[in-house]
Amino acid sequence: MENFFIESSTYIPKIDFNCETNILSIEGESYHEYTVEFFQPVFEWLDKFLAEPSKEITMNFKMTYFNTSSSRRFLEVLNLLEEYQDESEGKVTVNWYYEEGDIDMLESGEEYEEDVNIDFNLIPYSN
Amino acid sequence: MEYYDSFSLRRFHEDLERNAVSLAFHGSFSQDTIGLINISLQQNDNAKTLTKRIFSLVVEMAQNIHHYSAKKIYSEKFDREIGVGVLAISETEGYYIITSGNFIEQKDVLEIGERFEEINDMNDDELKTLYKERRKMPQRPDKPGANLGFIDIRRKSGNRINYEIIEKNNNNSFFILSAKINKSIN
Repeated sequence: MENFFIESSTYIPKIDFNCETNILSIEGESYHEYTVEFFQPVFEWLDKFLAEPSKEITMNFKMTYFNTSSSRRFLEVLNLLEEYQDESEGKVTVNWYYEEGDIDMLESGEEYEEDVNIDFNLIPYSN
Repeated sequence: MEYYDSFSLRRFHEDLERNAVSLAFHGSFSQDTIGLINISLQQNDNAKTLTKRIFSLVVEMAQNIHHYSAKKIYSEKFDREIGVGVLAISETEGYYIITSGNFIEQKDVLEIGERFEEINDMNDDELKTLYKERRKMPQRPDKPGANLGFIDIRRKSGNRINYEIIEKNNNNSFFILSAKINKSIN
């Protein structure tokens, strides 16, 4: 299968899912008004990617802003990864990056961490 | 000066000045519009967290108008009907105030009122719990939104949200939403 890549633009994040390294990254701002449609190809790719068991996957989020609609899609991504870990002998690590001092982005990470049973790292970075 | 119609730009401008309105937009709330508001907000020198919270409120209100305004116009670029409304950012000594307005259908009036009554009196923990519960629920069919916007506005604002629903005729009401954010957060 092929890697999945979308370049960031005004209201969409950069999405870089690599099936050779098994590193999946979402980065930037996400406030598309129709996230169901926008993320559909992302979920289609993930379905194929997760069809094969026993992978060691790193999921990176490095968001500066996302709307509530994207927030729901991110939880769906995390739920898929959790299911993969539980049922397909996968090993998943989530790295949630937030800019130092961005208390809201840190809190968003903590709220996802509470909602899924995956190794979760909250990692500050300075700009 | 003689006006061509009854709209007075002078009065409009005075009103904006008197209320320290830094941004006002009336029209259809496309992605592009929201992107421009984002750029405009970056130009102030507020703390980043404050700017982002103001932008969060703008996005959730704007996307609420985009999806649910009873008045829509067709956009050729996006090949969709896009909701029309009005949004303004003003300020007082201690607060930024973000206000939006749009027409809603009569059938939605009751539900909107009930939802604000529910969240206005909640504390931070209760809001967080409700947000997370709601986020786990399946996407509502035929509704593009996440059903989280009002809760997010309430959380990011940190204050009670004011709303007003003005009854009009023809099955439409005008819905005004007003949230404030303390300037002193950082």
